[in-house]
Amino acid sequence: MTIFTAEHRQLMQMLHPGRHQEYSDVLTSLGSFMEKELLPLSPKLDSGDEPIDRPRSALFAQGMSLIPFPAQYGGLGLPFSVYAMAVELLGTADASVALSVEIHNAVAEGVLRFGSEPQRERYLGPMITGRRLASFALTEPASGSDAGNMATTAEKRAGEYVVNGSKMFITNAGEANVYLVFAKTSKGPSCFLLEPPSAGLKFGAELKKLGMRGSKTREVIFSDCRIPEENLVGEEGKGADYAKAILHGARIVVAALNVGISQLAYDKALAYARQRHAFGRTISDFQLVREKIADTKTGINAGRLLYLYASRIKELGGDYSSEASQAKVFATEMSLKACDDAIQIHGGYGYTTEDIHRHWRDARLLTIGEGTSEVLRMLISRRELARAQ
Amino acid sequence: MSGQVWVYSESEPVANEVATAAAAVAQGASAEVRMVDIGSVRPATRGSGGRLLLKGPAGHEVSPAVAAEALARAAKDLAPLAVLLGATRDGREVASRLAAKLGIGCMAEVAGLASDGQGMTGERNVFAGKVVAKVRCQFPAVATVKVGAYPKAAAQPGESQEKDVGPVSDQTKTVGREKKPAGAVDLRSAKVIVSAGRGVKKKEDLAILAELATAMRGALGCSRPLSADLGWLPEEHHIGLTGVTVKPDLYLAVGISGQLQHVAGMKDSKVVASINTDKDAPIFQASDYGIVGDLYQVIPALERALAARR
Amino acid sequence: MKIAVCVKHAVDEAELKIGPGGSPLLAGAAGKMSTFDKNAVEEGLRLKAAHQGEVVVFMVGGTESKKTLKEALAMGADRGVLVTADTVAIDALRTATMLAAAMKRSGRFDVVICSEGASDTYTGQVPPMVGELLGIPYVGYARKIEIDGKAAKIERSLEDSVESVEAAVPFATSVVSEINDPRYPTLIQIMQASKKPVEELNGEEIAPAGSRRGVEVLSMSSQPTARKHVMIDGSPDEAAAKLLDALSKEGVLK
Repeated sequence: MTIFTAEHRQLMQMLHPGRHQEYSDVLTSLGSFMEKELLPLSPKLDSGDEPIDRPRSALFAQGMSLIPFPAQYGGLGLPFSVYAMAVELLGTADASVALSVEIHNAVAEGVLRFGSEPQRERYLGPMITGRRLASFALTEPASGSDAGNMATTAEKRAGEYVVNGSKMFITNAGEANVYLVFAKTSKGPSCFLLEPPSAGLKFGAELKKLGMRGSKTREVIFSDCRIPEENLVGEEGKGADYAKAILHGARIVVAALNVGISQLAYDKALAYARQRHAFGRTISDFQLVREKIADTKTGINAGRLLYLYASRIKELGGDYSSEASQAKVFATEMSLKACDDAIQIHGGYGYTTEDIHRHWRDARLLTIGEGTSEVLRMLISRRELARAQ
Repeated sequence: MSGQVWVYSESEPVANEVATAAAAVAQGASAEVRMVDIGSVRPATRGSGGRLLLKGPAGHEVSPAVAAEALARAAKDLAPLAVLLGATRDGREVASRLAAKLGIGCMAEVAGLASDGQGMTGERNVFAGKVVAKVRCQFPAVATVKVGAYPKAAAQPGESQEKDVGPVSDQTKTVGREKKPAGAVDLRSAKVIVSAGRGVKKKEDLAILAELATAMRGALGCSRPLSADLGWLPEEHHIGLTGVTVKPDLYLAVGISGQLQHVAGMKDSKVVASINTDKDAPIFQASDYGIVGDLYQVIPALERALAARR
Repeated sequence: MKIAVCVKHAVDEAELKIGPGGSPLLAGAAGKMSTFDKNAVEEGLRLKAAHQGEVVVFMVGGTESKKTLKEALAMGADRGVLVTADTVAIDALRTATMLAAAMKRSGRFDVVICSEGASDTYTGQVPPMVGELLGIPYVGYARKIEIDGKAAKIERSLEDSVESVEAAVPFATSVVSEINDPRYPTLIQIMQASKKPVEELNGEEIAPAGSRRGVEVLSMSSQPTARKHVMIDGSPDEAAAKLLDALSKEGVLK
């Protein structure tokens, strides 16, 4: 198989007629790297036989995280749609690594957009080359991702902030060497860069997840954890806005990730349907199997077009918050259906084979993580209603 | 005087196969076959027609460079219609250099050779065995003949002809030659081959496959990663495009995914059976019988079943 | 040390489609750097790292093949030379003649590295022909190359033996894939590769073909795969028994 297909190439050509060749070269190379070095490890990442560090580091060394960042910080300065498509390919190669890298990059984007120049110098370069792994600490045990109602506090005392509280379901926690922490000061939700080790910083046990098992997820606990004043990102009280802005971009990428998962599940199901015989013919001859093939293919293409559409608005400087949410809601729900159908087509083998049902288990996270479908539908409809006024 | 088709290979058994191919070309071209020796006569070679001994280089130091130069000098004087060599690694080198020296075409690793009198045609596998190409080259021409594609010639060559090509020097010096270790396998003539792939988790586990191979009175082969990347088996066990090409009666692929490059080396097997945990593994497309399962369970089961039958 | 590496933009055999008449659809077929050529480029880069100098990549091909040249440059080669020709219509000797002519124009190379054969056509003829046409020593199927000053020691990997061969620089060689693990170019290297110089030469101009016809391809057809594709299920013991039954019926069980 080839992860970066002729269809991907054609889309790049349509989006970026002038420079598509260069972008396709980058994605071709990345795709073949993932295919040879990551895809074969994927079952082992899922079973816990292969730790995530080595493949993730190798991917950083290839330059995966450099793609959308400006050259002055060592990035490649390529359009966001190229990065989003790279995450789609990564979602096909291994969803857990894609999740870990996607969140890491979202933090890097936050530092680029809202950090001070010294913060960018100190964190951005090392993050996008993979020398520093980042983690995004927003969600809380009680209030979820509702940034306005967070319970974690940051109290300013003698040139530093003292943070108390805890964050839940934090990807890369325990492994990361920089955390983007959201906590309330007297002025409201604020955003900080925290570097471990730190006396008041502790981690919960690794959470046992349904899917995305290659990535590490833990609770992050702050008890009088001190963060130097200069590590405040942007202004106090604007943390909720920053979190929203970061998550809007991340939603495009999560949509891409789920398109990637769906693509692999679909490829496997299609190959199986062509090969498996029942009642004297291959099961791909049955109309109800054909319906699944048609619907999944259509869903994948629609999901891909939606995330690329949102990416392109972002590249052109427009407001993409609704389109990003649309892409995420659609692609994550489509992905669940695609992976479920892949299990159905595989029959008993689908239910009993890790390498088939893990795609569904992986996909299952993302109608929840980084904005639930319910919340995002609110956001989409709110904008539509506002526009109609 | 009728034209000649020359046969040369550094390997005597291969030379005897090439002789059979040469007979087919000679027949179409109304030519005679000459079994070429360089330095000294090798009595074990067989083939119709006569012998041609090229004198000058000493028999024991015939490197590909020396063979190519000796053949070129003789060919310039004696003008054979075609020179056929075996498609061994050395043979490919001799043939290519000879063709370059003479400025004539060289067909690579061909089978099904024939002649229309003006040139010769042959068939060769391209695109990792997906496609057969029919190729033609006008006389005079050089070709390497696919190893294992022809039976060995049986007839004793007739009269001997000699040609002094003078001393031939070699710009390189062979200072050592070692048999590759563990050898003892002749996969090309094995009737049953059990072949191991990446599904085998560690080197020690090859023992259970070797046991099964012994129980089935066959030989043990492997796919490229096991020899080239992991070094678990010597290179001569490697079956595939860049390794050995085999055609046993039974090829049992165990834990082999079935990349085209591997299939290219075993697709002429009479019956192919494969065992793989991945039901989508391409090897099943190249198999008559497939078992989706863990080799660590299926192989012992096969051994038990075999033992019960004997 | 001046190092020349030859690469080929080969048909990607895994992606090659077969037309309804059984002949391969070569027009517009996907291409890629010939698999083993990556080992040749890697060995060139390895020698450069040990002995300084430059790595120049040579390729005969059409415009669509430039991406292969670019990939070699992204891996770390310094510059490229593209000899334009219609690769479908030419044989190995013609290719080798153009490569050798292009190299002669670029001055004298200390080491010329090819891979043992192209992954699509796999004739293995171009490397020895290039060596012959350049008139320098040639050692094929190298699995290890060591160079000390002007003396090179090369291990040749043959079917059932390994030869140690000594040659003087300059020399030409072909490498087998076990010689090294080719690196992946990073994305930065890929983007920078387009800035590296590539010289284009017209194959017919630097090496006129004359009247020589060489080896011609008369036809191509797909190999029929008449396998049975019977999947055997059941527990390991059941499957084993069923398989042995089937193999007995085939008469292939000794």
